[in-house]
Amino acid sequence: MRMNAVSLRLPRPFISDHPLPWLLPLIAILVVFALYPFFYNIWLSAHEFIPRKRGLDFVGFDNWVKLFADPRMWNALWVTLFYTGVCLAIEVTLGMAIALLIDSDDPGFGILRGLLTLTLVIPPAITGMMFLLMEDAQFGIIAAFLGDVGLIAPQTAILAEPSLALWGVVVADVWQWTPFMVLIFVAGLRALPSDPYESAMIDGASGWQTFYRLTLPMMGKVIAIAVLIRGIDLFRMFDYVFVMTSGGPGTATYTLSLYAWQQTFSFIKWGYGATISLFALFIVLLVAHLFVSLTKVRW
Amino acid sequence: MLLSPWQRALRIGLAWAVVLAFAFPIFYWLTVAFKPDGDIFSVPPRVFGFEPTVQSFEEVFGISLGFERGLEVLPGGGNFYMLPRLWDSVVVALFSTALAVVIATLAAYPLSRMRFRLQHHFVFWVLSTRMMPPVAVAIPMFFIYKNFGLLDTYTGVILIHALMNMPLAVLLLKSFFDDIPVEIDEAALIDGASRFKIFRKIVLPMAMGGVAATAVLCFIFSWTEFLFVLTLTQTSLKTVPVVSSTFVTSTGTAWGNMAALGAAAMVPAFVFILLVQKNLVRGLTLGSLKQ
Amino acid sequence: MNNGDRKLYLASVVDRYVRGQIDRRAFLRTAGKLGLGAGMLGVSSLVPFGGRGGFISPAAAQTIQYSDDMTAWLKETAKPFAGQTVRLATESTPPSNAINSALKPYFEEATGIKVEIEVLPLEQVLQKLTLDVASGLGTYDLYYLDQSWMASFSGDVIDPREKYAAKPDLAMPNYNFDDFLPALVDGISMYDGIMVGVPYDIPIFIQMYRKDVYDELGLKVPATMGEFLANAQAIQKAKGPSIYGTTGQMKSGHYSLECDWTAWLWGHGGSVFGPDGKFAGNDDQGLAAIAYWQKLKENMPSGVTSWTWDGQGQSVGQGLAGQVLSWGEFFPSWDNPESSKVSGLMEAAVPPKADALRTVSETGYGEIPGVGHQGGSSLAVSKYSKSQDAAWLFAQWATAQETQVYITVLGGGTGPTRSSVYDDARVKANAKPGIAGTTRHLDAVRETIANHMGSEPDLPEWAEISNDTIPVELGRFWAGEYDSPKAVMDSIKDKVDGIIAG
Repeated sequence: MRMNAVSLRLPRPFISDHPLPWLLPLIAILVVFALYPFFYNIWLSAHEFIPRKRGLDFVGFDNWVKLFADPRMWNALWVTLFYTGVCLAIEVTLGMAIALLIDSDDPGFGILRGLLTLTLVIPPAITGMMFLLMEDAQFGIIAAFLGDVGLIAPQTAILAEPSLALWGVVVADVWQWTPFMVLIFVAGLRALPSDPYESAMIDGASGWQTFYRLTLPMMGKVIAIAVLIRGIDLFRMFDYVFVMTSGGPGTATYTLSLYAWQQTFSFIKWGYGATISLFALFIVLLVAHLFVSLTKVRW
Repeated sequence: MLLSPWQRALRIGLAWAVVLAFAFPIFYWLTVAFKPDGDIFSVPPRVFGFEPTVQSFEEVFGISLGFERGLEVLPGGGNFYMLPRLWDSVVVALFSTALAVVIATLAAYPLSRMRFRLQHHFVFWVLSTRMMPPVAVAIPMFFIYKNFGLLDTYTGVILIHALMNMPLAVLLLKSFFDDIPVEIDEAALIDGASRFKIFRKIVLPMAMGGVAATAVLCFIFSWTEFLFVLTLTQTSLKTVPVVSSTFVTSTGTAWGNMAALGAAAMVPAFVFILLVQKNLVRGLTLGSLKQ
Repeated sequence: MNNGDRKLYLASVVDRYVRGQIDRRAFLRTAGKLGLGAGMLGVSSLVPFGGRGGFISPAAAQTIQYSDDMTAWLKETAKPFAGQTVRLATESTPPSNAINSALKPYFEEATGIKVEIEVLPLEQVLQKLTLDVASGLGTYDLYYLDQSWMASFSGDVIDPREKYAAKPDLAMPNYNFDDFLPALVDGISMYDGIMVGVPYDIPIFIQMYRKDVYDELGLKVPATMGEFLANAQAIQKAKGPSIYGTTGQMKSGHYSLECDWTAWLWGHGGSVFGPDGKFAGNDDQGLAAIAYWQKLKENMPSGVTSWTWDGQGQSVGQGLAGQVLSWGEFFPSWDNPESSKVSGLMEAAVPPKADALRTVSETGYGEIPGVGHQGGSSLAVSKYSKSQDAAWLFAQWATAQETQVYITVLGGGTGPTRSSVYDDARVKANAKPGIAGTTRHLDAVRETIANHMGSEPDLPEWAEISNDTIPVELGRFWAGEYDSPKAVMDSIKDKVDGIIAG
């Protein structure tokens, strides 16, 4: 009966087997900070800010009609999807390769893993500035290096070249976030059971076979969740393009997030900005949902 | 896998090469912080070949490493103001991390241990709260904050950062709890222990590595967040990412100052990571133990 | 040496250091020998260690001494408002930086009013102001208004002349509205008969060139658009690629690109709008401007299409360009021996004369054609502020003659908006080459304001047109996505006319 005595002092809800009391704080904060903005944006998307009267006018579905007819928006969506896909592909592949490389107990590898996390603590806004400087045609060390080895013409303005600008931004993203993937993958690799590997070795499987047949399937869930988390963030990416290219040249690097920001704050079209945001949200929801179904992730 | 000595050497060499390649931009940024103004830009660009100076640090932090500084016009327009901003960043990151981790831990436990209707959808909904473009959250928050007096306060920024990190934290923590065999709970339940006691005395201690890993990620995301802080603060607090944009002035960007602030801002975050480094790698398993 | 001698000697060393005759190391060594370590050099009259933004000559530092009249008036008038706080969100510009880092304490001490200044890049200031006026919440008491936003915010501010007249007890004696350069009042403060704010700062396009290069090649200061191009080509031919003919701020999607465009447009007799309120950049003059600009660009570094004013300023400071038509506020930083490789080598002049120039009546929305594109700003008191009177006191003080003099001599590159400041002895005393706080370009600035100034049109949609439509399409053009100047200009016309039509 000692246990009972203890239980009596506990807040009653937590004794229960019902999940609600546990989830209440989470639900409360999400309702205020996530659900409210969501509905607010739905309401806002049916209105538009009228500068002259400093107020909102009801416009019905006008913003949605405008959205689907707006070539800038479709371009931004395409850029965003392309950017997300490219970054994800590179970051997952490179992240896995590096994870396999530095997943070792040999001395020195702990330091390596520590050094790698350094890229994560730099605010993306500052990272953008760093790469802006390094990719400058005249003063940039990356542009100079790439020019020297002949990959690009000497003194190319990487971020002003339509065919290169997006890749210039991708470099910054990959640099900053590949270590994030590495961290997750290394942790995943460390947690893998060792029995299957021993039997694979006895069977004389090659390194590639082991990776393809054993590691990859066992890492499936880790990779799926990493892709999901990173993909969501990539889709909302704002800081890099904002700082590095202003969406240029032309609209080559204009992402949905930047477009929504621009409409909202530069043009004071709150309704249309909210509409773009909602549209972006629906697209991510859809893609994420498909992804979760396809990869059979269950929570 | 067993590697021959030369394979091992190759691996070590390759690993260092990769990591150094990643470290290079940071190193370059550090040289910018220590370069005299005239050397930051040169044609062709140079990494070395300058006389290091701490002038940028002196200007950014209003400190004196050599002699006193006095009246002067600085980009961003304020002497003695960057140290408090670093402090703001630390306070916001620490408290929002703590808040996010506490709430997420409480929520992750039942999500891992109890089954309820629509559970999968609930988790997906939690995750979906991270999908909204930040600008769409910032505007309604601005009005709420203004009404409740949260604008330009620590509490306000801490709350929004905690929210921002909540989906990630819940997801990660749930997977850590999933790694702990449910049989332990069942045994304790049969002994008559309450759910909360099991959570606090058994499951939580076992998942501590995961909690630490979650905390690090929350800390990093709060440390580097830009748009919420920009929108929801004015003058009483500012975090590093926002305040570093004040170096972009109408007469040019103060690159040296910005690099100095960036360099200094790496230190607290990195210290935090080092403190939990062991747990970070051990903890971030995302439920892979249970396949 | 006795203490007095030592100080004198130090002052001379400081002076030499400031003039760039000795480097920082030598200076420190000497100072160290004099036994002047940390403590001694803290004496505020001997602090020459400026940053990028500004380098204070010892003379300037000593002159931060407001008149007793000002102090007494502030003390007396501010009594009812002591303890109040006024907030200002501003771009990181020379006057704001000077006030925030050097002058603010004086005002706070004299008045007991607390001043909080939030310094941000331009786009972020716009974001803050937008939220503030849209909510009408008065989170800021003062607005920093760029000239391109004037129309958007004209309904959210208090007309300073009315305020001055309505509250004589708060009116600063000798404030003198007539002292503000009349062209500026028209160009940056007036919209639709309302004075939106007090002229606060005036960055304006002037011509700046490398005297050494000009002398070597026997060039003379261009007086026409054609000569400007010819000089650029001559420099490029003789010196390129280590020194380019000229440089630019042509980043796609950035306001700076629009600024460069208007200068060439107006210089060729074109205008953004016609009298019918329709976009006119695609007429013959507009196309001539683009053709000219294309030729000019052949003499620019490859990075221009990724540069805003930051990259442009750096390229000149690094000695990469022989001449430039751009913001006069760069000039002092190029004279700063610490950060610039062309200290003392630059000269300033008025912009080249336009080939033809439209009059205001031939344009639309109050556009004033002129090669000297201005990017001025004004300081306005918010209608929603809860401490309007305190804010108004601050606004008067911040734009008063004395304050503008100090801002100017403190360095950073401001363009004063008051006529009397250009004539002030303290300002003239700083017109020396090779120091960061130099004012030797101000004659050209003043002359440009009077005779060459170009002002953008004022209409509520202008923020969108100037920050997005035009620079995005021009960015496309420079990236080679349009076949011809005609194609891009026609496309801009479609879009701009569409935006105005709603």
